Amino acid sequence: MTLFGATGRPYGRFQGGITVSVVQDAQLHEGAFGERRNLRSVVGAVGPVRLTTIAIGLWIVALADRSWTTETSAGSAIAEPGEFLVTLLDGLTFAGLLFVVASGFTLIFGLMRTVNMAHGVIFLLSGYLAIEVQQAMVGQERNIEPEQVSLFDWIFPTLVGAAVAAAIGVVMQQLLLRWNQGEDLRQAIITMGVAVILADQMLAQFGGLATTMEWPGATVHFFEILGERYATSRLFMLAVALGAGALLWLWLNRTRMGIVIRAGVDDQDMVRALGINVNLVFAATFFVGSFLAGVGGAMGASFSGAAPGADGQWLLNSLIVVIMGGLGSVKGAAAGSLLYGTVVAFAPAYLPRDYTFYSVIVTFVLLAVVLVARPHGLFGKAS
Amino acid sequence: MRAREGAVLLVGLFLVALPLFGTDFFVGSIMTRVLMLGLVASSLVFLSSQGGMVSLANWLVFGVAGFAVGNMVATSGRGLKLGWAPWPSMVVALVICTALAWVIGSLSAKTTEIYFLMLTLTFAVIGFFFFGQVTTFSGFGGMTGIDPPAFFDDHPIRLYYGALACSALAYLSFRAIERSPFGLALQGVRDEPIRMASLGFDVPRLRTFAFTFAGFFAGLAGVLNIWWNGQIDPTSIGIGPTLDLLIIAVIGGIMHLEGAWLGAFIFVGANVYLREIPGLGSIGGFVQERVLAQERFNTVIGLLLLLIMVASPDGASGVLARIHSAIRPNASAKRRAITIDPTGGYK
Amino acid sequence: MKMKAHRRLLAAFAVLALLAGACGSDDAASTDATTDTSVAAEDSSGESVDETAEESGAEPADDAGNAGGDTSIRLGIMGECEGPFGGFHEDTVAGTTLALINGAGATSTSATTALDGFSGANVAGVDIELVGIGCGDDTADRAIQEIRTLVEQQNANVVIGPLSGDEGIAIANYALDHPEVTFINGIAGAQDATLHVQAPNFFRFNGDGAQWNAGVGDVAFREGGWRTAAVIADDYGFGWTSSAGFVADFCAAGGDVVSYVYPPLGTTDYSSFVQQLPDPDEVDGYFWVVGGTGTNAALEAFVNAKGDLDGSQHAGNLFFNPGIAAALGNDIAGAYVGGFASLPGDIVTPEISAYLDSADAAWESLGGGLSGGEADSPSVALGFGFAYGYYVGTLALVEALDAVGGDLSDNHSALRAELSSMTVEAPYGSVSLDANRQGIVDTFVAQLVLDEASGEIVQQTVAIVPQVDQTFGGTYSADTAPPERDNTDCAERSLPWHGNTIPVVDGVPQR
Repeated sequence: MTLFGATGRPYGRFQGGITVSVVQDAQLHEGAFGERRNLRSVVGAVGPVRLTTIAIGLWIVALADRSWTTETSAGSAIAEPGEFLVTLLDGLTFAGLLFVVASGFTLIFGLMRTVNMAHGVIFLLSGYLAIEVQQAMVGQERNIEPEQVSLFDWIFPTLVGAAVAAAIGVVMQQLLLRWNQGEDLRQAIITMGVAVILADQMLAQFGGLATTMEWPGATVHFFEILGERYATSRLFMLAVALGAGALLWLWLNRTRMGIVIRAGVDDQDMVRALGINVNLVFAATFFVGSFLAGVGGAMGASFSGAAPGADGQWLLNSLIVVIMGGLGSVKGAAAGSLLYGTVVAFAPAYLPRDYTFYSVIVTFVLLAVVLVARPHGLFGKAS
Repeated sequence: MRAREGAVLLVGLFLVALPLFGTDFFVGSIMTRVLMLGLVASSLVFLSSQGGMVSLANWLVFGVAGFAVGNMVATSGRGLKLGWAPWPSMVVALVICTALAWVIGSLSAKTTEIYFLMLTLTFAVIGFFFFGQVTTFSGFGGMTGIDPPAFFDDHPIRLYYGALACSALAYLSFRAIERSPFGLALQGVRDEPIRMASLGFDVPRLRTFAFTFAGFFAGLAGVLNIWWNGQIDPTSIGIGPTLDLLIIAVIGGIMHLEGAWLGAFIFVGANVYLREIPGLGSIGGFVQERVLAQERFNTVIGLLLLLIMVASPDGASGVLARIHSAIRPNASAKRRAITIDPTGGYK
Repeated sequence: MKMKAHRRLLAAFAVLALLAGACGSDDAASTDATTDTSVAAEDSSGESVDETAEESGAEPADDAGNAGGDTSIRLGIMGECEGPFGGFHEDTVAGTTLALINGAGATSTSATTALDGFSGANVAGVDIELVGIGCGDDTADRAIQEIRTLVEQQNANVVIGPLSGDEGIAIANYALDHPEVTFINGIAGAQDATLHVQAPNFFRFNGDGAQWNAGVGDVAFREGGWRTAAVIADDYGFGWTSSAGFVADFCAAGGDVVSYVYPPLGTTDYSSFVQQLPDPDEVDGYFWVVGGTGTNAALEAFVNAKGDLDGSQHAGNLFFNPGIAAALGNDIAGAYVGGFASLPGDIVTPEISAYLDSADAAWESLGGGLSGGEADSPSVALGFGFAYGYYVGTLALVEALDAVGGDLSDNHSALRAELSSMTVEAPYGSVSLDANRQGIVDTFVAQLVLDEASGEIVQQTVAIVPQVDQTFGGTYSADTAPPERDNTDCAERSLPWHGNTIPVVDGVPQR
């Protein structure tokens, strides 16, 4: 296997003969959503990547010790297992949120090749709406205590926000994207236009101040873990993410629509030829993709609040995750979320103390390394 | 061919004469900015129309030129504060930019299509955070109070002519390349990379060269920009302005070199003059108060962008082509026959 | 062989467009003669400001070039309609307008927004007309574009603004190149804008980010018993400057800052950064400068990792407002909060009530940033620092213009001399300028306390810190680098306001 494009087929569409390309795809990847390629072969394919991974692991486990190398804020995993575990949990829980948002993005791209630049504003809009609905349900706008928020007071606003998000996604797809299917760049710019308009309108309607949604009171507790304190609300966030992921998996693997979508990812022309209403499938995909962005928006509003700028931030987060994982692959989105979430958590904790400012650069350099080494991401395949 | 050159020459002459009758503000602020943005955009249009590479890193190269000049020229404030003279700084900045473009180009040359776009976007974001976090070179406050060479200082019209000259240089160079063996090979790589590779062409190297070449002109625009603007900070090269450049290229028409400057003109013009939709004053009510009030001009820009993209995949130049084809069907049939895929092969 | 005619058409279009643009303002010139200087006498909203702006911008040879010839004030307001502070656009214009209503006899065009402009402003025989409102987005590049439009196209000869720090530095630098225009800062708080740039025509009647936090360290040291502190701040200019003010003050009083943590802008998950802070039993207190969505997210990460909040262990800059209790509960009660331009609502002096009443008289309602753009009582917006900063700047302009009898000759030299030497008796404290034309201001220290009646956390002023200057007793000067992550010298020294703070008990300053 070569380094670039696995089989040197980034230009697959020029090879003439869709059959060849599809057969190769099937043999190599068994479809975008059903890859059998495991992480070991992914990492093992690239020597320098493996070496770097080992070096970083060694650093975290033993070398990053406060006493005998340069000081890091966490200390080595051997000396401070609690800090290590907390950092790991931080990474996993954040990855959950990342996955919910990014899986919607990658679903849309996987089927339609649409880079939905409006994904971030849909996320933020849902967050704002969920906050408004929650405030109306609790009956006050300020100083909401967690105890006042029942589980329903969190789930219902989340669903309302997500439903509106999904509706906007479908309307955008039907009005603006349906008739120019296949023109990647044009679609990206059109969704960018939608994003500019929606972001500006949200600034006008919701103002510039940050607002927060409350986690349900039942989930706001703390527990001790190796001497460190940890919040159950973060685990709740992970649980919601796992639930969303499970439902998505069931939908894609156990329903007719899901099977059609998976087939469409691999060979749209064949699906069309079989007489399936592709437009309905596209609309459904945009519905689910935007719904996921909406669920993520409510989770994000509870996790870090909603404010202007969060839209761009989360569009970027989604892009990073799906680029790392491989555009169009839900499994890749899971892998990308884990990788990105872990790096975001570990970089500030395990960089030498005077260099923690650079943690964010480390994240992006990692992304660049992944892309240079594997141009289509960990689980991606050439278009 | 003659007609195209003639038309461009006409516009060129008009631009040369513009300071004679345009207001200082129009020439010194608006048109200078249009020419600079058009210059960067032309480097992107060149890459996408000739090489099929829609890059988001050109704006980074543009910004790095500014940071380089800022670090070398400044004597106080942030950064290295080397205190060099402006002209040598410009030369060094251009060398740095070209080298950077070569590095980015060679790292990205093996990716194609949407992945190329994403990888270059990643480099752009790295650049943003690099200058934001590394206070040795800038920090989020950026480089401020950077003066241009004495020749340009307090002479906005001279700077305008500088931008015009650089634009002309870029235009002529890119046009010349189109017809050179290198340009033809590049077009081959754009259309049939596999065949080109099997014919013995080094495809990644051709792409890298094209990227480096475009990077030089992006850097040139970056130097002009900091002389004109006096400052640059990481938000200048953030994701917003990076996408703005793509918007400029696309609304102008990403397959036509002239579209770069046309797109810049529309973009800047809309920003300055289209703060409200004409005739809206009579609508009143909620729509005017909240949805399309004067301070909501981003909404207006977004609508304009949507309008152009819905109407024409090839931006404003595509719109013009359609108008023209309605008048002269013959010419348009010919045009269509040779039209290049407006999405730059992104299917 | 390529599309000839199409290209020609394209080029022709470009020429036409250029012509239209170039001649646009010339066309306006012909109508200018018939247009009177009043801005918004007509009923149309929004447009009137712009129309007049373009019209008055049509005489390039006359006004802008010939600085001695100013006979009226063509006022430009550098507002902020996009970006993180985009919600405060109304506030900036309302602050400016109210000063003209109170001091120059102006009338607001609309009863529900200041953005439609005003008419009838006149001081000492000099008309003040609004030529344009710039629309910033918190970036310096945009600020420069907007200020160019205001000054070079719309021919403003006095500009009030901008709102945020980096914009302030950019505009102060722009001021250096445009000596014919007088710039009065809105509420931007970057230290460099006055301390380092030192443009002779840039005046700032509000404190910088460091000044606003003067007194917090002192109060925490004396009243809160802090001896060591940790700082966590956004990793950019405003975060650095704000924390620098705390550090300079706290160290001067005798404290020591043991840890600095600077999460990058755009951080979503603060847990790993909070983890770097010392534990609550290792340090006496924490100073927070994390804004936007980060305020709540970072504090929540703190609760998650370090235990419940103990208000007496925390302090913050203006981001630390009662709103955080909405997300984090009432444990935050007791925390100290640094000041901003205006005081919290709990202090009511006759001057303050008169000021707020005048706002309520000027408009029926305003949709300011604090109300999220919804119509609200005008005094809500005007009582907050953003509008107030613009108000004080404009008030200074009006009073100085009055004092010099409307003399605008010789690049406004008399006006500028007056601005430099005057003391503005503003509602929330008097302001005078130092040699760099930087305000020496009264600021305050507040505390978040639990209001027994409502059960909510409110902000209560505990001390007024009088006459804070930019240098912090020599910690900062034109020779020191602008505040960065941890470059503020932590040394015990005497500061002019230490020992002179005026305690406030139940809203009454104990002078």
